[in-house]
Formats: sequence, structure tokens, C-alpha cells
Amino acid sequence: MTLVLARSEERTRPAPAPARSRPELWCAASLTAAGAAGAALLVAANRAAEWDRGTQFGLFWLGLLVFTLPAVCWAVRRSTSPRLRVAVLAGYAGFTFLPKLLRNPFGPLYHDEFAHWRQSKEILLDGRLFEQNPIVKVVGDFPGLHSTVASVSALTGVSIWHAALLVLAAAHVLVVLGVTVLAEEIWQDGRIAAVSAIIYSLNSSFLFFDTQFGYESLAIALLVWTLVALHRAMRGPARRSRAGWAAVTVMLCGATIATHHLTAIALIAVMIIICLVVTVRAVRRGTPVAVPMTAWALTLAAAALVVAWLALVAPRTTGYLDPYLARALDQIAGMAGEGGGGGRTLFRASVAPWWEQAAAFGAQGLAAVAMAAAALRLRRGHGTEPVARSGALAMLLLGSFYFPAALLILTPSGAEGARRSWAFSYLGIALVVAPLVVALLDRPARRAGKATAAGLLLVVCAVALVGNTAAGMNPSYRFPGPPVFGSDTRSSIPEVRAASAWLRATQGRELRIVADRYSGLIFGSYGGQNPVTGSVTFPTYELYLTQPGRPAPRQLLQQLSAWRFGYLIVDKRMAREVPEIQIYFETNEPVPHDGRPAFTLGQLTKFDRTPWTIKIYDSGNIAIYRFDFARAGR
Amino acid sequence: MTTFRLLPAGAAGLLLLAFGPGLPLVFPVLLLAVLLVLGELWLRALAAETMPALARLGLATAAGLVSLPFTAIALHAAGVRIEAWSITAGLGVMLLVVTVVVLVRERTGTVADDPRLARTALAIAVPGVLTLVVGIAAVQLYARMPHPPEPGYTSLALNGWAGDITGPVRIPAGGLMLPLRVSSAGSPAAVEPLRVRVGERLVSARPLRISANTTRALEVFVPSPPPDGCLHRIEVSLGATSTVLYGRGAGAGHNSAAGRVAGAGPGAKAGSGTAVARGTKAGSGTAVTRGTTVRSGVAGGRGAVSGRGVGGRGVGAC
Repeated sequence: MTLVLARSEERTRPAPAPARSRPELWCAASLTAAGAAGAALLVAANRAAEWDRGTQFGLFWLGLLVFTLPAVCWAVRRSTSPRLRVAVLAGYAGFTFLPKLLRNPFGPLYHDEFAHWRQSKEILLDGRLFEQNPIVKVVGDFPGLHSTVASVSALTGVSIWHAALLVLAAAHVLVVLGVTVLAEEIWQDGRIAAVSAIIYSLNSSFLFFDTQFGYESLAIALLVWTLVALHRAMRGPARRSRAGWAAVTVMLCGATIATHHLTAIALIAVMIIICLVVTVRAVRRGTPVAVPMTAWALTLAAAALVVAWLALVAPRTTGYLDPYLARALDQIAGMAGEGGGGGRTLFRASVAPWWEQAAAFGAQGLAAVAMAAAALRLRRGHGTEPVARSGALAMLLLGSFYFPAALLILTPSGAEGARRSWAFSYLGIALVVAPLVVALLDRPARRAGKATAAGLLLVVCAVALVGNTAAGMNPSYRFPGPPVFGSDTRSSIPEVRAASAWLRATQGRELRIVADRYSGLIFGSYGGQNPVTGSVTFPTYELYLTQPGRPAPRQLLQQLSAWRFGYLIVDKRMAREVPEIQIYFETNEPVPHDGRPAFTLGQLTKFDRTPWTIKIYDSGNIAIYRFDFARAGR
Repeated sequence: MTTFRLLPAGAAGLLLLAFGPGLPLVFPVLLLAVLLVLGELWLRALAAETMPALARLGLATAAGLVSLPFTAIALHAAGVRIEAWSITAGLGVMLLVVTVVVLVRERTGTVADDPRLARTALAIAVPGVLTLVVGIAAVQLYARMPHPPEPGYTSLALNGWAGDITGPVRIPAGGLMLPLRVSSAGSPAAVEPLRVRVGERLVSARPLRISANTTRALEVFVPSPPPDGCLHRIEVSLGATSTVLYGRGAGAGHNSAAGRVAGAGPGAKAGSGTAVARGTKAGSGTAVTRGTTVRSGVAGGRGAVSGRGVGGRGVGAC
């Protein structure tokens, strides 16, 4: 009897579906295999780069695309369930963190990473925030990232670097999912939301810059989620609901300003754009007044927070950011002037292959065409929900700021700012172009037509990803390779690290030292010292520039003595090689850049014969001198 | 999950983080769980309403994550040193305060649990774990593969008391033993000339064998410059590397307050033409390395030091 019942149950229980009809399993299996293959290719690309085989670019992009293209297909497919779409996007975010992880899995490498690594380590050592950072002087005034990393390290027992990787990976996933949620707030469509996240991931900062151990990597995630909270606050059906979401908005906004200055300023700019759009629409269309009122109230609150932080906590920030903008504007004026000077040549001396460089220009054209088409489509109207419509228009405006930044990229001082602005303006492009992409995918009636449209769009995505990444990050940041003097990422040779370790072990940390940019990075981070690399008001580079036999500038020596500088670091490679990034000390150094080394060996070894410098360490390229200012005046 | 359950869950996680044995793989996950609990409580306290599962998870993660810098800033403002116990205590206080706000707010009604939340969390966790596995495997693979050798170097540094000199050294009449440190990494073993110059004059030279990937301490004899009150340049070179200091002869250094009497290091004393350091005797014609007496035909010693006077042509400011 029992047997009969059991057989009867077996007959009534539905048979397990074959693997093909269970898309979750099929998707997980295919993307895991693609991810493993992609990771193996990324490893192969790194090895090709470090052994100088010349195939790194092809292997890198093959590795990236072998995972991302099928992932995009799964995310955008009409039949994909919302939950599977979220899973694919989470996997996509995780995989796109890999290139940077593989670039430097065991410690800081990029210029700003040394500053942030040191800042986090100092918190654990000294237990204090807001300490001045010698590598990037304003970093200490924005402790959001460092305190998070230091807290994770202190609570879990992992190293500062591993804690940073955990925080950065979480922030990277939060960015992708945040753009998805923001797009869903505006378009109320899961597919469009997924496409928005994919398009946003094509921006020039996504793969390398916004995954580095830098404050913007966390701040950009906070910016996106602040905008989500702002949209929910504007859409709140009742006063209590709006107040609740307003509190979440202010909280995240506060965290953003405590994390990164530029992102906080960009957030205020985006909020102002949203306010203007909702206000104009409220006036012209008679939409509810609560929407612009909420938007303005929150924007004013956020702006007050930013101003208060910049005025009371981080007053140095304005002085830090000002010169970049002023010089960029000067250089634009110079380019427009008669001589046409002041500009820079894109990809000058770059080792990036021609197709990456071509894609970089093509990506700008594709963005322009896509934005124009998206604007036309938006003009035809989209729904009636006022917040959604306003959000879409605001994103169109935000995206249009992407193109003026192209002008700044042509100037040496503006290039960095322009690249950084793209991470914000691309949010606008992603959110307004996504519905256009979905419409193009759905337009062909036949299966073959759909496949062709999908294939073409994938090619466009690939070109944009390759081009934007090539435009945003130079190859020495993206790939390992033989040591290169004057490269932020490749000039750290064991010899420099050993010198900094020796100084720390024998003389202690927090010493004031004079150094060039590249030695300063290592001595200021691993060495725990306080290097100065020169500025207009404290031109320490004049020590190096002084010709042998000529006296060093007396005023500079007095300044160094008064400020208790104890050591001088000399890298003799400055007399043999030209720095890869054309900087010896700082961007506006009065040092000739004519393709030849700017120093003679005599200029750098003259300290061997000046009685006010005691040479306490020498390893061939690196020499460490102790100042004896009492001897300087004799 | 009800607020009454979230509070003990968060508190238990914090206690484990504070007092548990640090487990590198488990504790980050535990911390993430605690931050998610805290973030969820923030959302219940501030925006007590239903929302899409993905939005809820993302906002809870963001709110939980920013609780760390908020806690650190609050500790800093309160003058409390930021370390593991104070962060745990700060998060505990925050957990308690936010829970109280939630409970007060929930008196007017609670938000129903969203059954999609757990499944959405799983949809993020599964690819997260898969990516972690693939990522760690890729990093391990990359790390274990052979990499091109990095450029090697040999360094020479003043060692011991000599590493701390801040000005000209007053050299005793019998000369002194100058402690040095020689380090080699990534370069093959080599023999380099070790030379001592006082002023422009070479006072000793001998070959020194430098083994690959070693660090060793050694001492070289520096004879006393003449007591003429002048500053004399003293250079010790090893191949292409060198150290440079300045010294005055014994009895001439009344005005060299910035310097120090050399040879005052542990165990060092001036003898007739030699100095002995750290219990190692050196005879004439020898240079001394720590624990090892190195004899060399060209080593600096009496033969090299004696004669027309030492450092007569120094670069001092005379």
C-alpha cells in the first residue's frame, strides 16, 4: 500500500525541468565558465605585458569581452527574470573589478593609492582623523574612505590593503546596482535599468580609475544612491514619506562630502540640474509644487553641508582645486590665441595600439550620436509621471556636459579634471540612451533582425568600452611592465623601496624630507615620511636645479632649516632618463621638458661635496643626505 | 525580520567582532552582515516604507557602510582614539540609538516584511561568491607564475652611531673605525673596491666581496686628519656607491659643536693607528668587519695612513 502511494506521488510530482528550461542554472554555468576564461585571459594579458611580448592589449580586451558580452546578453534579454537580471548585473560588477585587482593585488600602485593607503594606515597607528597627507595634501580633510577602510581593518583583522579591496569591491557593485535602481526610478522598466547600468560601465573611469584605492571610488557609489533617495523623496506620496526620504538623502549626502570634494560638488551640480528641471516643469505643466519644493530644500541642505565642510573642515580644498581650473582656462585661451600654444597632443608617445586610439575618438562620436537620438526620442514624450519625466530631462542635461569636457582634455591642466567629470556626466548619457537601445532591440519584427540589431549594439558597446578606457587611463596604469623612470606606477623599483625601508628603520617615521615626485611616493607611503616635492611657494626643486659650484638659494635653505627638514633624497635617474609622464616634481615645475634629461649628473652629485649635506645612504640610483644647516652659511 | 530580532543579531555580530578570534575569511562576512543590519535599521528609522528589494538592499548596504565613517568622525570629535574597541563601542551605541528610534516610529505601525528581499540578496550573493572564487584563483595563479626579475642593487650606508651624525665628526688622534652597512639584493655576487678618502687623498683601498642577497655590517678605518681646525671631507666608496661625511682632527674641534666625538660608539676606542669596535681586535694593516677580521694587502692601516699627514688637502672651509 505504501509503495502504491509513493508511486502515485511520483506520478503527480512535476518532473524536474531540463537545464535549458532553467535559465538561472544555464546562466550561472555559462557566465561562470566565461568568467573563468576571461580571468585567465586577463592574467595572460598581464604576463604578456610584464614579459614585453606586445600582445597584452588584444588579450586584455578578449578577456574582458569574453565575459561582458554574454553577461550583457543575459541582462538585456526580454525573457530574463528580474532576479536573474540582478544576479547577472552583480556578477558583471564583480568581474569588471578584476582588471584593477589583477593590476596590483598586493599593495598600492597608482599615485593617489599611496596617499590613501598611508592615510588609512596612519589612522590605525595614531588613532586620529584629519592628519595632513604629504602626498595629496587635502586627502586628510576627507576621511570617509580612510576611516571606513581603517575600521574594516581594525574590526576584521585583515590588512589595510585587503580592507580597502573589500570596501572598493563593495562600492563597485553598489555603483552598478545603484545606477540600475536609479534608472528603474526614472523609467520603471527592468530592462532599461539593466541597459543603463551597462552603458554607465562603459565610461572611462569605470574599469581602473573608480576602482582604485581613492576617495572617488567610494564617493561615486554614494552619489548614485543619494540620487536614488532624492528621487524617492520627490516622489513621496505624503509629507511623512518625503521627510523620511529627505533624511536618507541628507545622510548619504553628508557621507559623500565627508568622502570626496569633487564628487560632493558634482552631486550638488546634479541636484541643481534636477531642481531647475522640476521647477520649470512645475511652472509650465502645473505639476505638484511639492516636487520642486522637496528638491530645492534638499539641494539647499546638501549645498549647506558642502559649504560648511569646505569652510570649516577643509578650507585648503579651494586652494587645491583652484589652480587646476584657472590653468586649464588659461591654456584654453592660449590654444585659442595666435600661437595656439598651451594645448596637448592626445596619445602623444602612447604605446596604445592604433585601434584603441581610433576607438577613443570613435567613442566620442558614438556618444554624440546616441545623445542626439536620445534627445529626439525624449522630445516625443515619455510617460506622464512628473518625477520620472523630470528625472529623464535632468539626465539629458547632465549627459550633455560630457562634450564640453572634451575641450578641457586638450589642455595639460584640464585633462585630469575632464576625465574625472566623465564619470558623472556619463551617468546622464547612460540613463537617457538606455531606452533608445531597448527600443532598437525591440524594433525588428523578425528574429534575424533582432539578432543583427543586438550584434551591432554589442559592437558599439565594445568600441565605447575600449575607446573610453584608452582615453581615460594610459597603458602603464593598466598593465605591468619593465621599470620605467617617471611613471607613477612603474618607477617603484626595489632599490627605492629598500632606501625608504632603511630610512624608516634607522631614523624613524614622520621625518620631513625633500624628494622628487616618484621617490616621494614611496618614502611618503611605505616609508611613513613627510616628503615635499616642491611648489611655487616652496620651490625645493631649486636645490636640484642649482648648478655645481654655485651656492644653493639661501632663502630656501633658511626655509628648510626653519621648518626642520632633515633629509634630501636624490634619484640619479633624473640625469639619465626623461620621466614618462613629463614631470620630475610637480605639474608646474620650472624644469625644461625638451625630450632630454633636465639634469646633469653634476647637478645631482654636487651634494657629495657640499659640507651641509652628509651622505648617509647610497644605492647607485638613490642617495639619502642629511642636512647640516649649521654648515650651510659658512 | 522584526526590529526586536535585528537588534540582538547586530549586537551579537558586534560582540563576535570585538572578542572573537580574528578569522580572515569569516570576519569580513560577519562585518558585512552587521552593517546590513545597521543599514536596515537606518532605513526603518528614516524611511519606514516598502520599496523594491534591490533598492532596499542597496540603500541598507550604503547606510551601513557610511555608519563606519560617521562613527569614526564622532569618536574623533569626542577625542576618543580610533581603534577596534572604540569603533565597536561606537557602532554598538549607534545600533542601540537607531533601534530605539525605529521602535518609537513603529508604534504607529510596522512595514510588512518583503519576501523578495532574501531571494534578491541570494541573487547578489551567489554571483558575488562565484566572482570571489574566480578572482582569488586568478590572483593566486598570477602570483605563482614566474615574473621577470626586478633590477638589483647594492647599497652602502653609514651604520650605528655613524648613521646618526648630524654634523662634522671630531676624529681622535688614532683615527676611528667607521661602521657601515652593505646590502645587496637581486644582483649576483661581486667583488667591488672599498676605498676611503680623506679630502682628495686615497687613504685605503681593498676589494670587498659582496655576496648576493645579503646584508652585512662592517667597519673601515678612518685616520685622523691633521688638527688644523679645517673641515675635511671623508668619503667611503664601494664600487659606484659612496657615503660622505665631514670631520676635524683631534684637538681642533672646539668650534664643531654640531658634531660629536667619533668612535664613541659601543666598544670603540682609539688605539695606535687603529680602532677596535665591539670586542673585535684589529691589528695594523687590517680593516675590521663585525666578528670577522679581513686582511687585505691594500687595506687601510698604518701603511696607508702614515706619511705626509692625513687629509692635508681636505675640502674644509679653511
